[in-house]
Amino acid sequence: MEPRCIYLDNAATTFPKPCEVHDFVSLFYRECGVNPGRTGCDLALRAEQMIHNTRKKLTRFFNASLLAAGKEKDPNRLVFTMNATMSLNLVVNGTVGPGDHVVTTMVEHNSVIRPVNHKVREGAEATFVKPDAEGYVDPAEIRKAIKKNTKLVIVNHGSNVSGVVQDLKAIGAVCAEAGVPFAVDSAQTAGVIPIDMPECNISFLTFTGHKALFGPTGSGGICVADDADIRITLVGGTGVRSAHPYHLEEYPYRLEAGTLNMMGIAGLSAGLDWIENRGLASIHAHEMKLLKMLQDGFAQIKGVTMWGTTKLDQRVATLSVSLANYDAADVGTILDVEYGILTRTGLHCAPLIHEHYGTAPRGTIRFSIGPFNTEEHIQAAIKAMAEIAADRPA
Amino acid sequence: MQIENVNVEFDADGFMVNPALWSEEIARALAGQEGIAEMSENHWKIVNFIRAYWKENDLAPPVRLICQELGVSIREIYKLFTAGPARGACRIAGLPKPDGCV
Repeated sequence: MEPRCIYLDNAATTFPKPCEVHDFVSLFYRECGVNPGRTGCDLALRAEQMIHNTRKKLTRFFNASLLAAGKEKDPNRLVFTMNATMSLNLVVNGTVGPGDHVVTTMVEHNSVIRPVNHKVREGAEATFVKPDAEGYVDPAEIRKAIKKNTKLVIVNHGSNVSGVVQDLKAIGAVCAEAGVPFAVDSAQTAGVIPIDMPECNISFLTFTGHKALFGPTGSGGICVADDADIRITLVGGTGVRSAHPYHLEEYPYRLEAGTLNMMGIAGLSAGLDWIENRGLASIHAHEMKLLKMLQDGFAQIKGVTMWGTTKLDQRVATLSVSLANYDAADVGTILDVEYGILTRTGLHCAPLIHEHYGTAPRGTIRFSIGPFNTEEHIQAAIKAMAEIAADRPA
Repeated sequence: MQIENVNVEFDADGFMVNPALWSEEIARALAGQEGIAEMSENHWKIVNFIRAYWKENDLAPPVRLICQELGVSIREIYKLFTAGPARGACRIAGLPKPDGCV
């Protein structure tokens, strides 16, 4: 399926989704759209089976080293949420209280910044570690920030502004040595960069379903390490042990309340199959090849500034730029209306990294590449930016 | 700000707090702030379209729709409203600040 526009806003959500995802969601919901696990009827059991299989697939996806060692992590510690923001809220609210300290970074999205700031308002402390000029966080700075009362380190794996990818292995080693749980926001990386929880000592891996995992919006989750726990903050129906007066302590119920988003989970399941067929490394290589082409093209345009980094390793295919004498929003509007090129402009819900780069308060024009983009799309974007630059106001 | 004996309040970005108070006089005053000495027929055409759409939908119109419906190009809109369709034309049309990721 080919969208009518040139879609370069894949960091917001991937578009289009693979046909296989649409087909499976539609088929499964038409044939099996009952409440999963709520009754003993065959259809409900089939629905529950699909959900459990998706837990298994995701657990294996994020724990490859365990699988390679012939071990199987308990799939019930993979819980489903509505999105990465909800996952991060559950992690922060379930691990940090008044008097506790959180270490995070200036690279974070508001999905971390705001829950942490709310905790600070309730009496917790927070340290936002400053990255280097490109946006990379030095693990030694994380170590320096950890205090006796630090209860959580929470780090954005891939920046939704500049695409910088943090060294999870090194940061995880620091956290393990200090005995502090390590949470990772993988919204921009899950599905394009391999993440191995045991290898990186990750306690809580939060993910969204609708980006590089190719599920629908409204799907996401957390994979919880066996030696880590999140306090219950969301309570309600679980479909099992209804007579119990309080929310159930065991996973996955511990972090799930209410009926799950079955269509979202079905889409995630099909998205994972699609990634497996195409190959995660091949998807990333394709996107990075196009990113290089985009960066090389923009480097030739007078007035274009590329922010953060132009490195091609430790990176996902996201690039933020500004154009001299133009407001970012205006360039985005012209790209959209005149050229049919969809980007995202502004602060991208990540105000601290824009402050760090010096691109606040108006932000940048962000180009983010997905698996369905082509060289022709990139050439069109370069040509459009060159024409807009040439026409720039004095 | 006092315009034609009406006390008009603006948010931090210069958008009207109460769009119901909008009048052509207020539009002229806001246009003056944008460096538009006199609102031309084309200025009014765009401002009135935006306002009518907003009244009907509670949202600013998509820029592409303004171009299609009024037969103007995006670059013409930028020539008429140098601050652009959102921060220029919508502000003059008295709309609240359009949502965006800023």
